[in-house]
Amino acid sequence: MTSALARWRATWLLWPALLLLVLFFIWPTLDVARASLFDPDFTLRHFERLVTRSIYATVLLRTLWVALEVAVLCTLIGYPAAWIISRQPRQRQVLLLFALFVTMWMSVLIRSFAWVVVFGREGVVNGLLLALGLASEPQQFLYTSPAVLVAMVQVLLPIQIVTCVGAMTEIDSGLVRAARVLGATPAQAFARVVVPLSLDGLLTAFSIVFMLAMGFFITPALLGGRSDLLLGNLIEQQVGELKWGFAAALAVLLLTATLLALSLGRGIQGAVRRLSRTAA
Amino acid sequence: MIQRRHLLGATALPLLATASRMARAQPRKLVISGSGGVVADANKAIYYTPYTASKGVAIEHVPAEQQRMAQLEAMVRTGRTSWDAMEISASDYPLGVKKGLFERIDYTKVDPQNVLPAMARQPYGVGVAAYSELLVVRKDKMPAGKMIRSWADFWDIKTFPGPRALSARPQSNLEFALIADGVPIGKIYEVLATKEGQDRAFRKLDQIKPHIAKFWKAGAESVQLLSSGEVVFGTTFNGRVGALQKAGLAVEIVWAGGALHLSYIGIPKGAGNIADALDFIRYRTTDPVPMRAYTAKLSYPGFAPGLADGMPEEVARQLPTFPANASVQYAADAVFWADHLDKLQERWNEWMLK
Repeated sequence: MTSALARWRATWLLWPALLLLVLFFIWPTLDVARASLFDPDFTLRHFERLVTRSIYATVLLRTLWVALEVAVLCTLIGYPAAWIISRQPRQRQVLLLFALFVTMWMSVLIRSFAWVVVFGREGVVNGLLLALGLASEPQQFLYTSPAVLVAMVQVLLPIQIVTCVGAMTEIDSGLVRAARVLGATPAQAFARVVVPLSLDGLLTAFSIVFMLAMGFFITPALLGGRSDLLLGNLIEQQVGELKWGFAAALAVLLLTATLLALSLGRGIQGAVRRLSRTAA
Repeated sequence: MIQRRHLLGATALPLLATASRMARAQPRKLVISGSGGVVADANKAIYYTPYTASKGVAIEHVPAEQQRMAQLEAMVRTGRTSWDAMEISASDYPLGVKKGLFERIDYTKVDPQNVLPAMARQPYGVGVAAYSELLVVRKDKMPAGKMIRSWADFWDIKTFPGPRALSARPQSNLEFALIADGVPIGKIYEVLATKEGQDRAFRKLDQIKPHIAKFWKAGAESVQLLSSGEVVFGTTFNGRVGALQKAGLAVEIVWAGGALHLSYIGIPKGAGNIADALDFIRYRTTDPVPMRAYTAKLSYPGFAPGLADGMPEEVARQLPTFPANASVQYAADAVFWADHLDKLQERWNEWMLK
């Protein structure tokens, strides 16, 4: 009894955070769910529309696919970079992380728009290609899916790296050295010592980037072509026409899909960990 | 516990009283929501600053472009309307009226002498500017000796090759497609109201789709596409073209088949300073002197009586309401779109993804 009370007492530090979450996150989320079902009386017509018109499934799959692509690319680029940063002396590490944070001070809108200048018909890349004689006329880079992908990766990469660095600084360099002394090549040491030890950080970073990418709409709107329509763009469109009910239904779809994808990821993560443990 | 609450009440009350005294002591102020960019600059220079100087009412401009109506509905629903007056675009007007988001205009304050034409005296908004959404071309990128003159030319990719831009909304684009397909401008909405007419518009759009480099979303984006050379022909709003020309860009308006809209200025439901807002609206819509200066800067003319008096010919020619320009455009039907938007927007989205 006393220990339960003591435990209860110990949780009070959490309450302000919990209260904040309930008031400003959970309550509004429930309110969105309510708006999707009551318009103004109880109705399933918004969800019926989501299911019966094929466009919404198409856009959902496209959104999931783009978010997955972004998360994979961020991992491939960010993970090695994070390792390098985590092995630097303390001062240099702070400097490098600071450089990453600086890019996050700029709004997504501005960082996305900068790519218009780079990718444009009269932009930097085309200018270079024409000057080097690698192209005879301007190529269409802007307003294509790859342009959206590049910009989204650029916007989300710092988050991936910072999350990974946090997990990697914990790893004792002595372990890598020990592996090398015992005859492992650098690649082997990385794959069999660093990767297992930083797997949790890697997967957390992957999840965060995936989650954020699911909700993107400014970048595809600015840099994408006509088919680069993500769920976030559809929600924005509906809100603009004051169709709150259907916008809420789309938001519920986005949230559900993201949560399902993440729990699927968690399941895979658990399976991988069990496997690696039995292998060891 | 009771005591504590009492204590709280005792301290809060005088605080509240001080706060409301401070609010009363503040100088009079209007918060106006309007477009950003060159439109905001012109409003500030020509309307806000002189008005503040003569009436002692400070004006705060809140630039809004994409989600103005969503913001408005959220404010009205929560009872915290922070704007006193706002620009209302042609397509937003029926939407806001249907949802009850505007205050009824008191015309005894805005236009006591009844000088405005009936089309400008709407119950929930005063006509403030005519504007056109139309085709604009880069003359310097045109094939030698040729010039686009119509929507049919815009669709003619053999004679006029090059990347094009349209807006990312079905509004206007379906009308443009029907005009290109030979529908007379007086019959557009009659045709578009039928299933066959809609099929016809989308079939026509199918032909041009591969040549549209960008479907733009904001007005500022539409001119950026033209100035950066991303597209050679594209749609935009007529008032933005002057700024491009002044920047030295060889762009020209194709008036034929343009969409003529009327925008309003109104008062959001629950606004805090309705009295000053009505007086500002009177000044903004019925005084020809500042309106002439405004129109010389941005070709968005209003209905103040005597606006055209002494206006230089080259300024008048740039106005969407200039007889030669008005006669070749069609009057955009905002009510048609308010009634048909749901279905046509969905079909448009599907068409975009195909």
